[in-house]
Amino acid sequence: MSLFLENKYYYKDTDLTLKERLVNLSWSYIAMILTVVCIGLAVLYSISNGSVQPLVVRQLYRVGFGFLLFAVLALSDLRTWLKYAYWLYGISLILLIVVDVAGMTGMGAQRWLKLPLIGQLQPSELMKITLVLALARYFQGSSEQDVRSWRFLIIPVLMMAIPVILIWRQPDLGTALMLCIVTVALLFLVGVQYWKFALLGGFVAIAGPIAWHFLHDYQKSRVLIFLNPESDPLGAGYHIMQSKITLGSGGLFGKGFMQGTQSHLNFIPENHTDFIFTVFAEEFGMFGGWFLLGLYLLIMVAGCRMALKSRNFFGKILALGLTVNFATYVFINIAMVMGCVPVVGIPLPLVSYGGSAMAVVWVGFGLIECVYVNREMILTRQVARTE
Amino acid sequence: MSWQAEGSRVIFKRTVVLIGALCVLTVLLFARMFYLQVIEGAKYRTLADKNRISLRHLPPVRGLILDRNGQLLALNRKTFTATFMPENSPEKIDDVLKKLSLLLPISDSEKTRIVKDASKVRPFMSVRLKDDVSFDEMSAIQLNIPDLLGVSIDESRIRVYPAKEYAAHVVGYVQLPAEADIIKDFMKMPEVRLGKTGIEQAYDDQLYGTIGSQRVEINAFGRDVRLLETQKAVNGENLQTTLDVRLQKIGLDALGEQTGSAVLMNVHTGEILMMVSTPSFDPNIFNAPLPDALWKSLNNNPKHPLVNKAVQGLYSPGSLFKIVVALAGLEGGDITSASRVNCTGALQVGNNVFHCWRRDGHGVESLKDALQHSCDIYFYQMGQKVGVDKISQMAAKLGFGAPTGVGIVGEKSGLLPSREWKRREKDDEWRIGDTVNLSIGQGYLTATPMQMLQMMARVVNGGKAVRPTLIKPKGPPVFESLGFNPYHLALIRKGLSAVVNEKGGTAYHVRFDSHGQKMGGKTASTQIRRISAKEREEGIKPQSQLPWKERDHAFFAAYAPENKPEYALIVAIEHGGGGSLTAAPIASQIMRKALELKREDEGKK
Repeated sequence: MSLFLENKYYYKDTDLTLKERLVNLSWSYIAMILTVVCIGLAVLYSISNGSVQPLVVRQLYRVGFGFLLFAVLALSDLRTWLKYAYWLYGISLILLIVVDVAGMTGMGAQRWLKLPLIGQLQPSELMKITLVLALARYFQGSSEQDVRSWRFLIIPVLMMAIPVILIWRQPDLGTALMLCIVTVALLFLVGVQYWKFALLGGFVAIAGPIAWHFLHDYQKSRVLIFLNPESDPLGAGYHIMQSKITLGSGGLFGKGFMQGTQSHLNFIPENHTDFIFTVFAEEFGMFGGWFLLGLYLLIMVAGCRMALKSRNFFGKILALGLTVNFATYVFINIAMVMGCVPVVGIPLPLVSYGGSAMAVVWVGFGLIECVYVNREMILTRQVARTE
Repeated sequence: MSWQAEGSRVIFKRTVVLIGALCVLTVLLFARMFYLQVIEGAKYRTLADKNRISLRHLPPVRGLILDRNGQLLALNRKTFTATFMPENSPEKIDDVLKKLSLLLPISDSEKTRIVKDASKVRPFMSVRLKDDVSFDEMSAIQLNIPDLLGVSIDESRIRVYPAKEYAAHVVGYVQLPAEADIIKDFMKMPEVRLGKTGIEQAYDDQLYGTIGSQRVEINAFGRDVRLLETQKAVNGENLQTTLDVRLQKIGLDALGEQTGSAVLMNVHTGEILMMVSTPSFDPNIFNAPLPDALWKSLNNNPKHPLVNKAVQGLYSPGSLFKIVVALAGLEGGDITSASRVNCTGALQVGNNVFHCWRRDGHGVESLKDALQHSCDIYFYQMGQKVGVDKISQMAAKLGFGAPTGVGIVGEKSGLLPSREWKRREKDDEWRIGDTVNLSIGQGYLTATPMQMLQMMARVVNGGKAVRPTLIKPKGPPVFESLGFNPYHLALIRKGLSAVVNEKGGTAYHVRFDSHGQKMGGKTASTQIRRISAKEREEGIKPQSQLPWKERDHAFFAAYAPENKPEYALIVAIEHGGGGSLTAAPIASQIMRKALELKREDEGKK
């Protein structure tokens, strides 16, 4: 045991060389991600009626930037993230509060923070990463007994609740919901008893109607119209109806690349961002849709596999949390465009046009790869405690 | 190390559960895709096509309405509407309006409306600024177009009625279709006007033509992407009517301030040369949205200016019906040229005393005398002799009780009573008093002036079942004979001629001899209230001393030339006082001028 105490963060040699790190990378994971990226670029090319300007070119810049982030993170030392996890979480939380205060004076939803150099920064996106980091850091030193006690769960729940409340106030229901889902999933993965989730489910069922009163009107109308989109085909139900028409008219095999009528005639609002999946499904049909969704599933399963390969708890939790984060994006977005859940403004990762979400998923992939690269690293319980 | 192993085992198990959940979610979404794209695919494909293609209507040009000589009664005038398309303007609508109001007058309420409209439409859709801008205003705008970017002048058409109030009722007018009239999709378009009354309404289908359409591929913003297909509009047919706009003017002027109607018809062809109703109105006012006050005043006017009284006014025909009774009697053998009745001024039938209009009686009267003097007692007596059944049958033959089919929507059919009718409708026996009333065209009987005219025409044209028409027939019309004895018809015409041309006739004062052409006719005055015995004793007040609403209706049915009838004319004056006094002079004036016009026209040829 003394050995663990002496070597503060690890006991086996993990100072890997760059070459070793490159060898350790999961290249198949990268290949799958890049395949989805290419599909996304093709859809943007189709939306622009066969032109790379301006969507494809701009998206390529973002992909390039994202990939750079990915590479740096994938090749970084996992211990750095363990060390600074709480700090990073703290910074995100402060930024959220800043946005909240600044937003009081602004009009409508205030989610952006204008910073020099970086430009627009959305603290809620940052929080999707740093919350997972902080939770992984927290559970790194935990024992099974700890996890089973109520008191041990207070801190992670608070870590989630504070940003969720701030983001809810912005208001950004989708992101707040995602943070909740990721936290609940992590609690599940670390071994919190099943009956506690049953209890949580019961609580939500009771608290749901109460929470309804705190929703903004536009959020209420989104839920109501989601339940019956035909009731308002030209108003707020328009998005859902048009989305279903576009997707449904694709049929089994689709209308063919660049042959989509609905998306090209601008019937789909936000056709290059949140609703991009419908454009793809219109042109490539059900089989195309299945292929893309299957690819997403493979990336998720690969993420889980890579997490399980890690010999340290922090890495496992971090990789699983980020995978759940990615899965939440995918499932909510696709369910949304198919009219299964209300429209909540969550993009389709890697495919939707846009920078902020793109950066988040690339950072996530980078950290998952980092966990995988450092899979043989063993971090001790005491380390976490004494650090 | 045990905690680590344990922890790993738990997290492994839980991760397997997570992967399972991800797979289940994926399969559910697969199923949803299958449902939307395959099971409901056809429905969404249909909706997608609807999304993509917009059907646009191309309005046809409405057919012209001409009078018998080719004079225009209704035409389309191009008008210019100033519109504004926000997309094409660098300026706000308020600034544009400020500049524009220097060039053409725009009221403040209109300005508010325009600003409101502009805020509602998408930037590439135009806002109506002003309808029917004048040529000067248009030139002013066009000169200043560089300063008024976004403003443009659009062409459209409005219906114009050059005859104005002279042919308002018979020609009718067009209007925006009312909610209830919209039975076809195209009727919702802003420029569609449908015939509301008169010929415009009756011949709407012909006049309107066939609407064309354009199928245009559009995007979600409604912008045209490309034209797929065009089906040209077929313009409406021009309609030549039988009307003579000069006679319309003569007729309306002759009626003057009186409330009523007058119709002139060719007795052989049924062509209506003139149909007027008073008070009249200018149909051109319906082009613009009618101010509320004007609409109310038109609708609430006790003289009902919007009603075409020639076909929608229902009156007791009064003494005009004596012609029917006379013919029924002659044809049935109950009256002969030798029949005589002694008129003493009153007749007791059962418990009732029926009076002649002449209190001291006409003395011994033949049929000719009875028609000439309009003796009531003669027809009370003969009516009883002929009986209700024969009278009713004859009246039906001559066109009572059914619409004439002249071609005006809303024509009334009037009421021709009979034994069966009374049993059916009143649940009562036909009584002798009813026959006496019917004999002088009073009681249950009602008819439109158009029906009275048709009766007169059928009697003087030799007994042909002529039917009136407003549209020039394609060939010479053939009307079946009603099978009357020409001698009987001649007897009646003798009486009708005497009414005008012989001393003592009820219309002797309006006789004329226009190049040898004379007129025959029959007066009628119908009471619109019962005269009580007390009033009779006190002496009946002259009509002129009664309030307007209580005065008798006045009629004169005329034909000319007397020796070779060509025209029949009805003049019906509501509360005119008396046929002889009010209606006959008007009829005489119209008929004389109609004959003069005819001679002039023939002379020109």
